[in-house]
Amino acid sequence: MYKLLLSWRYLRTRFIALASIVSVTLGVATLIVVNSVMSGFVDQMKHRLHGVLSDIEMSAPLLSEIHHSEYTVEQIRELLGNDLEEVTCVVRTPALMAFQSPNGMSVQQQVILIGIDDNTFGKVTDFEPYLQHAMKKTNFSFALEGDGYDSEYGTSGWELRREKAEMERRIEEMHRQSMLRAQEQQSKWQTGDSSIAQASYQEPATQETPTAGSNANQFAPLPTKIRSIDEILAEKESLKTEQTFETPQFTGIDPHAHLRTQVSEEEMFDAAKDQYTGIIIGQAIAKRLAVDENQEVSDFYLLRPGDDVQVMVTTVGRSPKPVSDMCTVVDFYNSNMHEYDSQFAFMPISELQKMRGMVNPMTGEGSISTIQIKLKPDVDLDEAKMAMLARFPVDEYYCDIKTWQDTQRPLLSAVNMELTILNILLFLIIAVAGFGILATFYMIVVEKTRDIGILKALGAPSGGVMSIFLGYGISLGAVGTGAGIVLGLLFVRYINEIADFVQKITGQEIFDPTIYYFTEIPTIVSPWMVFGVAVGAIAIAVMASVLPSLRAARLHPVEALRYE
Amino acid sequence: MNKSVAATQPKMGRAKNYKPIRTPFNVVHKTILSTNNLYKSYRKGKLEVPVLKGVDIEIAEGGFTTIIGQSGSGKSTLLHLLATLDAPDKGEIVYGDTRIDNLPAKKREAIRNQEFGLIFQFYHLLPELTTLENVLIPRMVQHGFFRYLANKKKFKQEAIELLEMVGLGHRLTHKPSELSGGEMQRTAIARSLISNPKVLLADEPTGNLDEENGADVMKTLHELRSRKNLTIVMVTHDAEMAKSSDHVIHLVGGKVA
Repeated sequence: MYKLLLSWRYLRTRFIALASIVSVTLGVATLIVVNSVMSGFVDQMKHRLHGVLSDIEMSAPLLSEIHHSEYTVEQIRELLGNDLEEVTCVVRTPALMAFQSPNGMSVQQQVILIGIDDNTFGKVTDFEPYLQHAMKKTNFSFALEGDGYDSEYGTSGWELRREKAEMERRIEEMHRQSMLRAQEQQSKWQTGDSSIAQASYQEPATQETPTAGSNANQFAPLPTKIRSIDEILAEKESLKTEQTFETPQFTGIDPHAHLRTQVSEEEMFDAAKDQYTGIIIGQAIAKRLAVDENQEVSDFYLLRPGDDVQVMVTTVGRSPKPVSDMCTVVDFYNSNMHEYDSQFAFMPISELQKMRGMVNPMTGEGSISTIQIKLKPDVDLDEAKMAMLARFPVDEYYCDIKTWQDTQRPLLSAVNMELTILNILLFLIIAVAGFGILATFYMIVVEKTRDIGILKALGAPSGGVMSIFLGYGISLGAVGTGAGIVLGLLFVRYINEIADFVQKITGQEIFDPTIYYFTEIPTIVSPWMVFGVAVGAIAIAVMASVLPSLRAARLHPVEALRYE
Repeated sequence: MNKSVAATQPKMGRAKNYKPIRTPFNVVHKTILSTNNLYKSYRKGKLEVPVLKGVDIEIAEGGFTTIIGQSGSGKSTLLHLLATLDAPDKGEIVYGDTRIDNLPAKKREAIRNQEFGLIFQFYHLLPELTTLENVLIPRMVQHGFFRYLANKKKFKQEAIELLEMVGLGHRLTHKPSELSGGEMQRTAIARSLISNPKVLLADEPTGNLDEENGADVMKTLHELRSRKNLTIVMVTHDAEMAKSSDHVIHLVGGKVA
């Protein structure tokens, strides 16, 4: 009883005890916050990496191919049996993507082009949830949508294509106008009725005049004055409707007429109505930050859904050749992992196979570069990997078979290492608090030497005296730890609000989503972690109080009583 | 006072098979506490300082014995040895019929707690506790947590009675720092009596008090002795104090004079 009473009284009457409690509290709170944030971070990151990468990948070397994909997939299905959830084939290749930014600048960007099978790809990886268009998330296709794109992009979808086609047409018309004017000028020089013809104009153009002159009157009569573009366009439209849009002016015989296939109006590519092969690009490829005059930061898109891009890849085979094709951006992909969002571009596998010459002309079967596998939940990935490695020996298949963890091993192990070191360092904080307690207790024991002597003189055993100080230590640790847990959990609960608040005060973005993978700070509070931290902190407090307690227990009562 | 009974006959060379002396003359005064050829020295660095050099005393039951001596004569050391706070280098201490100086720690603690009451010159109260709690401490030490709680009311009642007996019934919830020297010493007396001891060992109980308070404390001690049939052993350097006691033992240079 006296132990409890005295422990309690010492706790209540010593201000220095409060300092020890605060140091334990801070240490515990820090550990809990850092651990929660780190495990939340790691978990989220793993989840996303896992989602993007699928469980197991079997991939041919870069730019190479796996032939007989259908057979291989059959083999995998047979091998993994019930463990298999779904399997999909993709063609993955580095590619060059070229496009015109809204101001007409030509932009080239290296991407990883992934040809996907839209039936199965979404079942193997988390693909559709990361698409930006609401329709595409549920009902995926590579078709451009009319609307439903984020208004942030500005004009997009078919509207953008129509607008651009209109613009093209105007530019073309302007160009034609200026050509006509130039020709008019030229013909004036030729007839010599102008004083502007000068000797210095001995250009190739004048040398061409005999031939040009002979063709000059084959064009439609020249307008005598410059008309507005709208007027011209209106005239053109009317000509079109009257089906007189022919070139009757050409009287000469076209020597290549037999080679030209007649393309009807419907089959002709009209940028306003038709799209090229759909392509989905990582949002970070297109998205840039812009600041206006009011220092307001906004997003600026180099590319919008509806824009056309040119992709260039190499063909497969012994001597790769560059080939290119046009694609139309139909949506953005945003997994919030910058690494992927800034590199990935997806298009239909069949188109990519055609482009790269991966279709066997005899059988019509396309080769692929990677097989992605999703296993049933709770299936051991490494076991499945080993089974596949045994079934597809590397000397025969030369394929790399990796789990998603293998693929991201450097990142994952770096993060794990970080977590371990951080924990060690933070535990040192509590250890420092422990030394604080040790010093405090030692002082208290010295201060209480006479009291210890009194207690012993009154018949208190050494163990009893010791347990006063041990109990003191335990209650210090317990109170500090309890407060630390509460503080830490509250901090974790409101961490995003706190981050916002700090950001507001300092003006510094604490959690930059372009560097970290997430838009808000993810946290996971594991009860075991909290328990471990609490036990560790109390243990340190107790250990720190053992030494002073032992000293108290060993005090000789006579000497303690004599102590002044 | 200083009767022939004064238990101070040196008994040299009989340490081994010692028996309490029972002369036909002291039938009235049974010996309750005695020492036999007690030696004790302290180390000060490399120097060994002998304090007690063969002390034989006998304390009569129910008596008021004063041990008087100059400072350095070893009187406090003797009291500490009697109280089993320290162990002698040589010799024996006998309480009733049992030798107590070589008992295991647990038994010595029990004796200190229940058989002896201790009073010190500097009162030695615990500053964090109230008067009442200070008086209750020996009871808390004696009993475990649950037994103490079970008997708490009874103990508290006893403590209040004791405090009232020493005239501190109105000071129950005061801290030692709020009491006068005399009040503190009377609290200490109440504390020493809480577990109904047979022997009260007092180390200069008035040494730190003025004359009036000292006399007051002495009066209280005498009253308690007669009321509770206590044996009191008091150590002092003040010959005045010894006048009121039944037996006086003079200690000079570590020996009984």
